[in-house]
Amino acid sequence: MQAVGLVANPASGKDIRRLAGKASVFDNREKLAIVRRAVIGAIAAGATRFVYMSDSHGIVKQAIAETTIPRGVRFEALPSSGTASAMDTIVAAEQMAQKDCAVVLVLGGDGTNRAFVRGWQDATLVSLSTGTNNVFPVMAEATVAGMALGLVATGKVASRSVASQAKLIEIDIEDEEQDIALIDAVITRDAFIGAKALVDPSQLKEALLCRAEPAAVGITSLGGLVRPVSDQDDFGLHLTFGEGGRQLFAPMGPGMFSTVNIGKTRLVKFDQVVRALGPSVIALDGERERVIATGQRIEMRISRRGPWVVDLAATLLRAAKRKIFLRTM
Amino acid sequence: MSEALKEGPRMLPYVSAITEGVRQVLQEQDNAFVAGEDVGQAGSVFGYYQGLLAEFGDRRIVDTPISEKGIIGLGVGAAATGCRPIIDVMFMDFLGECMDEVANQMAKMRFMFGGGATLPVTVLTMAGAGMNLAAQHSQSWEAFLAHLPGVKVLMPSNAYDAKGMIIAAARDDNPVFVVMNKMSLAMQCEVPAEMYEVPLGKAAVVREGTGFSIFAMGRMVHEALAAAKTLEGLGVDCEVVDVRSIQPFDSETAVASIKKTHRALVVHEAVRFGGFGGEIVAQLQEEAFDYLDAPIARVGAPFSPVPYSPALEKLYIPNAERIVAEVKKVLGI
Amino acid sequence: MAKNITNKTLIDLHACMVRIRRFEEEAGKLMEDGKIPGALHLYVGQEAVAAGVMAHLSNKDQITSTHRGHGHVIAKGGQFSPMFAELYGKSTGYCKGKGGSMHISNMALGILGANGIVGGGPPIAMGAAFSNKFRKTKQVAVTFFGDGASNEGSFHEAANMAALYQLPCVFVCENNGFGEYTRQTNHQAVTDVADRAAGYGMPGVVVDGMDVMAVYEAAEAAIKRARAGDGPTLLECKTYRYYDHVGVRGMGLTYRTDEEVDAWKQRDAINSFEAVLLKQGVLTAKKIENVYARADEEIKEGVAFAESSPFPTEEDLLEDVYFVGATS
Repeated sequence: MQAVGLVANPASGKDIRRLAGKASVFDNREKLAIVRRAVIGAIAAGATRFVYMSDSHGIVKQAIAETTIPRGVRFEALPSSGTASAMDTIVAAEQMAQKDCAVVLVLGGDGTNRAFVRGWQDATLVSLSTGTNNVFPVMAEATVAGMALGLVATGKVASRSVASQAKLIEIDIEDEEQDIALIDAVITRDAFIGAKALVDPSQLKEALLCRAEPAAVGITSLGGLVRPVSDQDDFGLHLTFGEGGRQLFAPMGPGMFSTVNIGKTRLVKFDQVVRALGPSVIALDGERERVIATGQRIEMRISRRGPWVVDLAATLLRAAKRKIFLRTM
Repeated sequence: MSEALKEGPRMLPYVSAITEGVRQVLQEQDNAFVAGEDVGQAGSVFGYYQGLLAEFGDRRIVDTPISEKGIIGLGVGAAATGCRPIIDVMFMDFLGECMDEVANQMAKMRFMFGGGATLPVTVLTMAGAGMNLAAQHSQSWEAFLAHLPGVKVLMPSNAYDAKGMIIAAARDDNPVFVVMNKMSLAMQCEVPAEMYEVPLGKAAVVREGTGFSIFAMGRMVHEALAAAKTLEGLGVDCEVVDVRSIQPFDSETAVASIKKTHRALVVHEAVRFGGFGGEIVAQLQEEAFDYLDAPIARVGAPFSPVPYSPALEKLYIPNAERIVAEVKKVLGI
Repeated sequence: MAKNITNKTLIDLHACMVRIRRFEEEAGKLMEDGKIPGALHLYVGQEAVAAGVMAHLSNKDQITSTHRGHGHVIAKGGQFSPMFAELYGKSTGYCKGKGGSMHISNMALGILGANGIVGGGPPIAMGAAFSNKFRKTKQVAVTFFGDGASNEGSFHEAANMAALYQLPCVFVCENNGFGEYTRQTNHQAVTDVADRAAGYGMPGVVVDGMDVMAVYEAAEAAIKRARAGDGPTLLECKTYRYYDHVGVRGMGLTYRTDEEVDAWKQRDAINSFEAVLLKQGVLTAKKIENVYARADEEIKEGVAFAESSPFPTEEDLLEDVYFVGATS
């Protein structure tokens, strides 16, 4: 049987947006409890093989230790990068790609999912939100997510029948390693990565979005409240900030509204190249990630070459129709 | 005060003298406040802050969580930065919860900082047995406070001293503990309405005599006075000295008394072993050995925790009878 | 966040870290040479925390520090001469030689003392913050403490009271992974001390304590919040001490591997900040060299001052136990 991958990011849900905005701390005991419920759900749906990231806080390891595991269910810990950084997630994803994982549970925010996809671009994911900016992961009961993991891993529900491929942004940085974003890439006036979060609208220069969601917070909402672009649309949105005569009042983060000057907006076709030039700090999925030197060139393009995202409701609906959990006495 | 009382002496119970002292300090010092457990809404479990919340508001009468480390820390931090806190530690026994904040922070900060910090903080706390509150709500720990360089320790035995010591403590620029006695709360004596200080480091001769000196602390002063009365009937003219100030200790008054009487006894409610009485005895033999005609006797509680049962507690707390018995032993009568 | 951050601020942050690093390296040598008595707990590795936080404080703001406190004192404005003199136990030291390494303080700089007691600082800082609110000033009190101290009851009581009274107090946890020689996994069940913030009703934030700009930005937000009267914050900085709990390599213990230490050194706060500043042209190699040269000059002066200063005398022994004189 194919395995279920488990990734819990211990660092998600703890950044400066607890101060700048009104987000709350997402404590690691709660993440542990989510993993437990998901594992129990997956086992209930028939999963017998799990492969997990050895996170620096031992979240998954401890969750397993605190769960009664039926005979025959196996867990495999993947060797960690040992850096207690996003590199842990990237390395785990690379290994999971080699480990025959049918589907991976990712606990974190947009940043965690981005890191995972950097390691395994076309993985099949069930992403639950334990982060701050959460456009990509969903809020759902972990037990149900676990059932979906089990149904897909056992093949009781065919992955391709309930999962759809997401868009992503590929970012080429001159002379440096390529990067990606799942939701948005922003060229800022910042000089430092610092505490990562984007909270000051006056620092924004331009943004490329593959999703512009009005019903979300963060950069995606800046686009979403001007020109919505859904996950289904086969195009993206490019925004410039500054003079343009339009002011937008939008949630830059949880509980944090700002007035943003919107310049030009235009739709961007798949694989259409959007260029930018340093100096800048480029923010990916809401977090400042890369320092771009003066004159250094950036090229960005949107495509549907992203990960496969499992639709939880659709998966459980199929299970119901097939009476998978129904037993006749 | 009612008009009728105006004519006679102004009598006030110990509990009201505390209230009056604190009130007058708060009126005098804008940067003074009271903080402690149940000091505000409850007006203290002993009742001595009654009315102060209404009068001064919750900025200056601050109810705290049950967090002695936090409360003493609040006093230390606030005192070092321009306030004059009056910190209430409901029962002296609770100092066990904040020994570090008292012994390692409050007592030492000024010295460790080479004189850089000044800590005008007053701690009011309640000692003593007699209410069947058992081993953790009845102790007298003045000796171990007095063992800490950097703090001062006062023990008012009566209402007059309670008020005057609180005022003196609050005006002092050092950490001062005022160790009060819960069995004395209803005791009355004359208390002037105006502000006055009972000076730190000054013992009081509360009964003059020539035949025998009794050095008493806290509520034991009253037992010593009762004993002196009994002893008077036996032809012993006792002098009773209320030690009052434990740290600094007034050895001058003690020595002067010994020079007069040549025989002495020390009495405190705390456990006799290692009690402050031992320090008094040591100082007297150092400074007045030639004037002593007999070993100095000590009366204190036995080496046991304070018992709960009324039957046992009565046996535990030193009293006038035991003082009389010890004095007789010394005199061989 | 980093809006309007001037080159001067960046240069100051860098110089501050370098001054701490060089002071500590030198103090460690002097201790090993037997010139400094007693015990030194060196701050090497954790410089970004002191520098990033203190950049937002004035002399009027208060801090409480820890047994590993030299870095905080330097970042808060401490001068090398009276610091070295204090470490030497000389009468010209910040505490007239009465406090030593674990108690360096200076009220004029708002330093309410390093503290020899793990967990000694938070209640005092909370008290200072109470005083700031009581006196209606805009001062902020910051308490530095480690992952080890976060297990002390004093931290719990101070955090609860600071949140209860909404005090201008910032709790900066320098999580260096060890309580003395005990690894964090062996002394607490949580890995993020900031997780506890929710239990006190205050925000908790985790930042990379090896990134001075991350600390700078997070501290800015927390201190602004405190100054505005919006209450305390628990700010956890993940960092690492390069030297042993005491001294440089005090006891030759095997509680951690050289590989682990080297892995953290790869992320060294000063080196990585220098790399960014060079990339952005804020500093040149020559200018960086000058920063070290100036720090070394300060050290030379400081050590000379300490060595030529007199020891305190018998007259000083009993002074400063109590305040003596007119009531203030």
